[in-house]
Amino acid sequence: MMASFCHFPASPPHQSLSKLLSPLRRPRPHPFLPNVLCIFNPNRNRIRAGSQFRRLSLSSSSIALPPEELDSSSLGDLTRPDFPILHQEVNGFNLVYLDNAATSQKPTAVLKALNKYYESYNSNVHRAIHSLSAEATDEYEQARTKVAAFINASKPKEIVFTRNATEAINLVAYSWGLSNLRSGDEILLTIAEHHSAIVPWQLVAQKTGASLKFVGLTKEEVPDIEQLKELLSVKTKIVVIHHVSNVLGSALPIEDVVAWSHSVGAKVLVDACQSIPHMVVDVQKLDPDFLVASSHKMCGPTGVGFLYGKSELLSAMPPFLGGGEMIADVFQDYSTFAEPPSRFEAGTPAIGEAIGLGAAIDYLMGIGMQRIHDYEKELANYLYLSLLAIPNVRIYGPAPSETVHRASLCSFNVENIHPTDIATILDKQHGVAIRSGHHCAQPLHRSLGISASARASLYFYNNKKEIDVFIRALKDTIDFFISFQ
Amino acid sequence: MSTVSYSLRLFYPKLPQILPKTPVSKSPFLPSEPLLLFSSSISFQRLPKSPLSEPVRAQQQQQQQREADVDLSIFPSKLQEIIALFQSVSEPKAKYQQLLHYGAQLPPLDLRFKTDDHRVRGCVSQVWVRAFRDPDDPTAVRFEADSDSALTKGLAALLVFGLSGSPAPIIAAVPPGFVRLLGLQQSLTPSRNNGFLNMLKLMQQKALQLYSQVGHSEINGVSDSMGSNLGAQGGILEDKNSILGGETNETGKNSTFREISSANGSGDSLPYGVLKVDGDGMDNANVVQKSLGGGVGGRSKRIRERLERELSPVELEVEDISYQHAGHAGVRGNNDGETHFNVRVVSKEFEGKSLVKRHRLVYDLLQEELQSGLHALSIVAKTPSESQSS
Repeated sequence: MMASFCHFPASPPHQSLSKLLSPLRRPRPHPFLPNVLCIFNPNRNRIRAGSQFRRLSLSSSSIALPPEELDSSSLGDLTRPDFPILHQEVNGFNLVYLDNAATSQKPTAVLKALNKYYESYNSNVHRAIHSLSAEATDEYEQARTKVAAFINASKPKEIVFTRNATEAINLVAYSWGLSNLRSGDEILLTIAEHHSAIVPWQLVAQKTGASLKFVGLTKEEVPDIEQLKELLSVKTKIVVIHHVSNVLGSALPIEDVVAWSHSVGAKVLVDACQSIPHMVVDVQKLDPDFLVASSHKMCGPTGVGFLYGKSELLSAMPPFLGGGEMIADVFQDYSTFAEPPSRFEAGTPAIGEAIGLGAAIDYLMGIGMQRIHDYEKELANYLYLSLLAIPNVRIYGPAPSETVHRASLCSFNVENIHPTDIATILDKQHGVAIRSGHHCAQPLHRSLGISASARASLYFYNNKKEIDVFIRALKDTIDFFISFQ
Repeated sequence: MSTVSYSLRLFYPKLPQILPKTPVSKSPFLPSEPLLLFSSSISFQRLPKSPLSEPVRAQQQQQQQREADVDLSIFPSKLQEIIALFQSVSEPKAKYQQLLHYGAQLPPLDLRFKTDDHRVRGCVSQVWVRAFRDPDDPTAVRFEADSDSALTKGLAALLVFGLSGSPAPIIAAVPPGFVRLLGLQQSLTPSRNNGFLNMLKLMQQKALQLYSQVGHSEINGVSDSMGSNLGAQGGILEDKNSILGGETNETGKNSTFREISSANGSGDSLPYGVLKVDGDGMDNANVVQKSLGGGVGGRSKRIRERLERELSPVELEVEDISYQHAGHAGVRGNNDGETHFNVRVVSKEFEGKSLVKRHRLVYDLLQEELQSGLHALSIVAKTPSESQSS
């Protein structure tokens, strides 16, 4: 029964480790977990009152534990102490941080790793002979191995460290794109792509004469997979596609998209920025040619991200940035280049940050991505239903159902009130941090017919109590503006 | 030693007067500062955070700003009233309510002014600002504005009510930092503040465009650039209230310029009176340019002529925005301005050409200028059908 709910691949071996370390007594997976079931709960009319929510979710949840214990030991409550930044006041109110799709907070384990690096063994990597440098190099390369294991890549050298996912996409566009695309070729994207997935390809298309094609939305406000199949042709050379949308909260069937794309000879680049931090991602199962993600969205430091590329592809790609580290021999008028991944890592990398990313991965694996995913499914539904209950609120993206799972974020608008106004008063008068704007997805907003939206996005250290605070604050804010209209 | 400590003790009672509502009693921080000379261990206590502490800190900062060198007397009186009103309100929530109240009083902006040329950049919401000459008072600039965000509309209203009716130099002299005086900085997000400042700058720019160059040249520090700027300004007005140009009498113009350069931004009505024109000012502006000759640069005139000749544009706007860049490295040594221009061309010649090609076309036509001190061009290149649909 659980299998039919899951779009996502089975977890790799680290799952058992997390069970070992998990302090939560609740057995997993549990057939009676609320998840999407609360949508079909007969007590639906109780949704109207905000305070009823907690009782609703508890009553439909696991029968094994008494309600109070369940609530007090939710993943959010368990992990909160690890994040010092969450315990502060903003404008006189306790901070409620709901902007995780923009960036995540970092646990003390990651902060300690960063500090330890700079305090004990900071040294340039791959270059010197001395002990500090050897230690730094080891830790840096170990971080690479951790990233590879995290996404189940077959070899660590298929991981290229970059500054972030945006740079990783630019790397593919300029290195692979410029040498493989020519006039008449097509690059297929969806209208919901992040600007970082659109703009580099626009630039490269201009240079090569290739063109961009966009898949639109269905009336359920998800990218139209049928249209994608139709738009795929022998002219399509690469499909650039998100795994989870940072605005719509929808997830795409990557395995299928990859299979269809490969059958017409097109490569696939998957933007996993919003999926990797929240669920199990297995590149051997999904089989993309390229996959990108940023560290800062998955509890890691800013300044580092990575590109996963199949080794035969990377080996055939020319360099992106030139400089030290990526060369073999340098002469006056030409140079020879290193093998990947070094070929694409010019200059001194963000060493401490990469090691910090490794520490973040350790932390996440210690909890277990499946566990994080399951908890966030609860949060996602709770958030969606709570928002839906407020009059004049319009949420974008698909409604959750048995087959459709939303990410734990909601982009929304309130009728006649600008999202920026909402976000400002939520912050100043309630200490609730959400985002307002186009979320780096202007084409998507245009196709939805809006200029901006507000977005609340959660992570595993949030809990239902915070959602309640947000909902209360939102209602208060709406009343504040309505009184002036 | 004892005399020193005596004088230091004198400081202590003064403190509560400067910072009336600070819970000084709980914090040895302030009084212990003088004691640094005498003791080796100092303890600091964090001020307790309470909902009241936010507006208190705001007031402190406001007063400090006021004590810093902001001369309120140069502000328009209506703006001074608004500043005083906001400073009298300490609760952030009440400030917002006041802001929304102002916004609600702003009349809606006619749709035909909701165009890119009136849009304020750097705003998360959409904001439009329009400046026009006061029909009853030739020296005064009036504004209209609108926004789809209520709080931004409130900010726009502040500026509209505070600045309307003043002459352009007074408007241009309002320093952007004045927003701190409102105490809204503590209450508004940085990006919204940026929008506020950009709104102010756009309003100042538009006021100056309407009325020109006295304030303009004072900012540049050189009055010689006025001629070319006059010509440039003649090009960019879309309001049919354009008022540049005027008499073609050369001696009359020269004497006027002498007066203008000595007017020193005092806001006298005389320069504006001279620049007033009935009917369409465009042709007169061109004539003015010619009478001034190349002695004052004339780059904007050369740009216009070149583009007109080669592109036969349906619309052409050439605007000298060098004053915005006065002082940065590319401009230094080129003190007579004419380094940065905005160019807007609508021409059939652009049909079928990509954006890159269009820009290249314009750049190629202006090669000589680029090699003789023109530092930067900001180009908008559209075909006639595109400019109608935008």
